[in-house]
Amino acid sequence: MGAMTWVLLAVGLLAVFWAVGAYNRLVRLKNAIANAFGQIDVQLKRRYDLIPNLVEVARKYLAHEAQTLEAVIAARNQARSAEQTAAGSPLNAGALGALAGAEQMLGGALGRLFAVAEAYPDLKADQTMRELSEELSSTENRIGFARQAYNDHVLEFNDAAAQFPTLIVARLFNFQTQAMLESTTSEAERAPVKVTF
Amino acid sequence: MLIFESQRAARGQTRKLLFAFALTVALLVLAVNAALALVWGLGWGLWSPMGGGLPRHFYAVNTGVTLLFVLGGWWLETSRLAGGGVALARQMGARELRPSGDFDEQRFGNIVHEMAIASGLKPPQAMVMARQSGINAFATGWDEDDAVIAVTQGALEHLTREELQGLVAHEFSHIREGDTRLNMRLIGMVFGLEMVFRFGQRIWDPDIRDRTTVAALLGLAIMAAGWLGWVAGHALQAAVSRQREYLADARAVQWTRSQDGLGGVLRKVLGTQTDAEEARQVGSPMQHLLLVSTEGDRVAHWLDSHPTLEQRIRRIYGRPMGPLPLARSDGEARPLATDTFAPAPATPARGPRGADWTLS
Repeated sequence: MGAMTWVLLAVGLLAVFWAVGAYNRLVRLKNAIANAFGQIDVQLKRRYDLIPNLVEVARKYLAHEAQTLEAVIAARNQARSAEQTAAGSPLNAGALGALAGAEQMLGGALGRLFAVAEAYPDLKADQTMRELSEELSSTENRIGFARQAYNDHVLEFNDAAAQFPTLIVARLFNFQTQAMLESTTSEAERAPVKVTF
Repeated sequence: MLIFESQRAARGQTRKLLFAFALTVALLVLAVNAALALVWGLGWGLWSPMGGGLPRHFYAVNTGVTLLFVLGGWWLETSRLAGGGVALARQMGARELRPSGDFDEQRFGNIVHEMAIASGLKPPQAMVMARQSGINAFATGWDEDDAVIAVTQGALEHLTREELQGLVAHEFSHIREGDTRLNMRLIGMVFGLEMVFRFGQRIWDPDIRDRTTVAALLGLAIMAAGWLGWVAGHALQAAVSRQREYLADARAVQWTRSQDGLGGVLRKVLGTQTDAEEARQVGSPMQHLLLVSTEGDRVAHWLDSHPTLEQRIRRIYGRPMGPLPLARSDGEARPLATDTFAPAPATPARGPRGADWTLS
């Protein structure tokens, strides 16, 4: 074989090595997104577990506000089923959108509950209620920070998949750009639900 | 990624630190020899005008003893720190968090977990300095697995949730940037460098029967030479920690997305006067660990382990801001447990350098 053949062979091998490296990097970045969603998921579950306890404590003091309490429970159940669907296919844009909508409803229902609770000093003074509210505030914060991390990972993956020459590998193996979590696009929405106790 | 870069930078700094330490030790050995030779020479000159030479092995013994003190002190202190972050925090009077039953401690534990997510680190061990009523905090540990964040009881009681978050975020930055590891190394070095000074002080101090012996003169000479080591140790501490404080302040604002968190902490500290006794509870080799320095009467600015509170507040807000009273804006203001803190007057009387506290 001539020298030319050897050179071509070497160049071809280098290209293959590079492509394998680029492919692996894209896979790694994509897995990081799934992992970041897992982090949010853990916190969402924690919140779904907290809310029924909170409502039970509040029920003792808010006998006349049954409607508000039921709204919270209904929103919580809806958000939870959306979360279960999304957890099954974490990179599915539709499931994530449904989850975001359900979460927004839950946030609104909780906000109304805390607004109502303002008028009941006994409830605000309840030790268990205070501890549960603190747990809930903390969970809200954790969700916020985990969302931020999720979006950072999405950004990193999207950047990698859209840049030349990795773009070629991404197109070849059908890596699709991922959507960011929308509710963190505006400053106002990024703020956690105000829990005031 | 970024975290590895900053850890590499921290390792480079450790090498520089070791070099500076070696240089200081060499200078210290020279100084001790020169001082002792001078005193010896003067002594002989007064006693017998004929003059007597230095005893045999004079320099070898001086050098050996000095090295023994410095390196021995360094080794002793470092091996004491081998126990890791939790052991060191216990030495400084901190205990593990007891989140069940105490609302403030539950909240602190939660905040540590929140900031772990925000910073992408593992949650460190949260600890409380239960007997300290001032507002302060520190982070320590050899690495991420060994990391500890401790806050004072005063910080738990007087800070709002947002402020405590800013304070914890500041400490997280120290862990992430590898500052805590560097600081662990520094503690041993500063301790070793202070040994010669302390030894000289022992000899110089009059004995039980209040006699001053001839040896005291030698003690004075050793003290004078050892002072060089003391100053160098503190200068090392200061050089390492001052710039890192600004970085940690900036990180705290970035992670919490709020100026009022850490800003509020610094302003509250500005509004309090610390009790001198309490400030002494933290040994001087550990000063640079703290959120705010507790050493007041400093000789010079370049020995400060922390920039002044006013400078830090100005960097956070972009303009000077006044002190804050200690009340918790979440309606949780509580009576002060001790009278160490006078409620901040509207215009606190402050010295030229501000309060005794210099947020580092």
